[in-house]
Amino acid sequence: MISLESKTLPVNVNIHLLPTSKFKTTLVSVFLQQALAKELAAKTALLPAVLKRGTRQYPTFRDLKVRLEELYGAALSADVVKKGERQLVSFSLEIINDKFTPGEKLLQQGLSILKDVITDPLLENGGFRQDYVQQEKEQLTKEIRGLVNDKVSYALERCIQEMCSQERFGVYKYGSVEELQPVSTGELYTYYQNILQENPLDVFVVGEIDPENTFALIQDTFSFSRAGNLVELPPVEVENIPAEVSYQEEKLPINQGKLTLGYRTNISYQDEAYPALLFYNAVLGGFPHSKLFQNVREKASLAYYVFSRLEKHKGIQLIGSGIEVSDYEQALEIILQQVEEIKKGQISKEEMKNTKRALLNGLKIVGDSPYSLVGFYMDGLIGKRTEETEHLMQRIAEVKEEDIVAVAHRVYLDTIYFLRSTNGDERKQE
Amino acid sequence: MHLQVKQNASLKEKIFHAALKGGPDLYILPRQGYNKKYAIFSTRFGSIDNAFRFVDNEQEEEVVLPDGVAHFLEHKLFDEEDGNVFDRFAYYGASPNAFTSFTHTTYLFSCTDFFPENFKLLLDFVQAPYFTEESVAKEQGIIQQEIRMYQDNPNWRVFFGILEALYTRHPVRNDIAGTAESISKITKELLYKCYYTFYHPRNMAIFVTGDLEPEAVCGLVEENIAGRSFPPFHATQRLYPREGAAVHQKKVTRELSVSQPLLNLGFKDTYADLQGRELFVRELTTELLLEMIFGKGGPFFTSLYEEGLIDEHFDFGFTGECSYGYTLLGGRTKHPEKLHARLLAAIKKIKKEGLGTDSFARYKRKMRGQLLRSFNSLEFIANNYLAYRFRQIDFFEILDLLEEIKIEDLEKRLYEHLREDLHAVSIVYPVRQD
Repeated sequence: MISLESKTLPVNVNIHLLPTSKFKTTLVSVFLQQALAKELAAKTALLPAVLKRGTRQYPTFRDLKVRLEELYGAALSADVVKKGERQLVSFSLEIINDKFTPGEKLLQQGLSILKDVITDPLLENGGFRQDYVQQEKEQLTKEIRGLVNDKVSYALERCIQEMCSQERFGVYKYGSVEELQPVSTGELYTYYQNILQENPLDVFVVGEIDPENTFALIQDTFSFSRAGNLVELPPVEVENIPAEVSYQEEKLPINQGKLTLGYRTNISYQDEAYPALLFYNAVLGGFPHSKLFQNVREKASLAYYVFSRLEKHKGIQLIGSGIEVSDYEQALEIILQQVEEIKKGQISKEEMKNTKRALLNGLKIVGDSPYSLVGFYMDGLIGKRTEETEHLMQRIAEVKEEDIVAVAHRVYLDTIYFLRSTNGDERKQE
Repeated sequence: MHLQVKQNASLKEKIFHAALKGGPDLYILPRQGYNKKYAIFSTRFGSIDNAFRFVDNEQEEEVVLPDGVAHFLEHKLFDEEDGNVFDRFAYYGASPNAFTSFTHTTYLFSCTDFFPENFKLLLDFVQAPYFTEESVAKEQGIIQQEIRMYQDNPNWRVFFGILEALYTRHPVRNDIAGTAESISKITKELLYKCYYTFYHPRNMAIFVTGDLEPEAVCGLVEENIAGRSFPPFHATQRLYPREGAAVHQKKVTRELSVSQPLLNLGFKDTYADLQGRELFVRELTTELLLEMIFGKGGPFFTSLYEEGLIDEHFDFGFTGECSYGYTLLGGRTKHPEKLHARLLAAIKKIKKEGLGTDSFARYKRKMRGQLLRSFNSLEFIANNYLAYRFRQIDFFEILDLLEEIKIEDLEKRLYEHLREDLHAVSIVYPVRQD
């Protein structure tokens, strides 16, 4: 795998370089960390939206886009990412490698735009531009309300919201419309200045780069002043044994029911049992050969999609499926049965072997995409377990059947969320 | 073994091609440093091929298929006499999949280890159909859930809305998976008939990419087909109903559970039976034209965005196949009617004032850069290469062709294609709360 070369700048910015010649582009990713919290989430989410509207040098959206187009359509993005109980403001620039355009110094030019977006926004009266903030509040409101449009992700997100309504993890990555509305232009800029100075900031560069030059280039880019002592962000709360299973139902005018189950695994990313948890999740529903797909789809023909997935930082496992509303009982029974099977140690040698190979395969290809490389290492930083994929692969290879069974006994069903049609059980055909 | 190699300096890629005697066309793109190996096996049989006749047997009646057969066949080809080939791929740690488009069906896997074993599995299962009445019946439930999932997907619904509006008869207006009713008519016999008609090596192609030796990959294919005997190839004539130039309906609307409306505006292209370089130039010219008018650095995007009529997901593009072609633009909007009018007005304004030449070079640079970025993805390269190959296009010529396009070509295209009389809209509204 491509190894990380890290360094902390005097201004308290961590730089991580991943030199490799296999890609046609260079990717620069910047993450500014903030705690995920109900009262902050919408405000934090508004920041990248406003920042990408314009800079002092490129004051309009169009000016900025034209400049990026000149640089061979460099992709500049700014958004928020939720990782456990952290909300990350992320900026990234992906630009084609200089070898395709000799003499143009594309990376340097691109970095200067990225720098402007992060540190030199368009200001008026000592704050962000009023109209940009207003427009972005409207756009973000639409984005938050738009969650419902994709029913597959809506069902998963709603399950999390119900399950973690009393925890920070229950906050949607873009926050809520209620918290967004009162955010004022003046307050927003002060808030940005604070977190830009005091919150953890990590920069990744992936591509055909010379480490020494690149360190210098990044150092030059992030030359603004930062606090000597950064804020300490609260750790993620993982342990939780629910007293009982909560059942939540929601009705919408839709065709297909979405059955979602939320589990507490009580295992964090740092936990020694994490590789066994990965394994457990994969045996249950990570792949087409897994128990859920084989039994719910292949044997019972109840679903087109059914899977389980982990939120590795929070230690939550979600099972998602799309079924006929009238098949609810049968589908639920089969799903719960699969979980029980693992608890009882009903895992064949073949399942062990296939799952191991599939998991290792997944880790080996992390290095084949600049974005997944950055994602993998950033997860390591957030989860305070920076290791190379090879090390994690080693740990996965050592997982035994009894480790998986042990994990199964630490996992508790917390919430069943069922999204169903407004028309009851009748089939609505068009 | 006759491996021909082609270098492309603009892309900095090298591609190997083997025309195997009696076998499918084989393309190999070595990619050093990648752990992933990706292979696809495609046939020119898609959802629109639902009526055909054998070229050498004019006596035989034309075959008319229920909608969704190509997709159904794709699902069922994974079945084997003693189980499902998914299990065997799982044994070698590979991740298999398949997809059906309007024009072709593709089987694929990606893996890191055991490439020869996995590749052999792919070649074998695609060449060994095993359909039974029970397994066909069992698949109905699964595909019905797939169809219902898509029925709840607003992007999918607004997309098929516009195709229904643009086309009167062409099967591109029908959902790829068919309907609950149409798939209930699919039988094991029908699947075999389609299989033997369209899954002949002469109608198929293979693309392999990853850190691999081209000779070794080619050897694997030769070894695999050596023991097989293929029946003579009977070319088919695909019977697409006569589709007039005019749009079928000006407007198609639906109601769905969404937070705000979606608009798709479409322009129907006025030709048929174009392929090869000519088709590719048309596609690139149209894409450049759309970028100049509606791109984020263009004259209209920022104001539409600032007024809240569009968001960042506003999208546009041209699709050019041999038997149909269209331009689509749109996205989520608070005022579909207003946005519709504004998009048409933008085109009118450009027609009046001209495209201007300043930004032309910039858009070419942008397209060039975007393409190079996409070339980080093995899947992107393989899937596109064969999809274009089936239209007699060499995808790797893209950057060189792009340079040949002139602003006059765009002007011409603007008048011939973006015509108000050849446009339609599809709108998805939020369900009215009674």
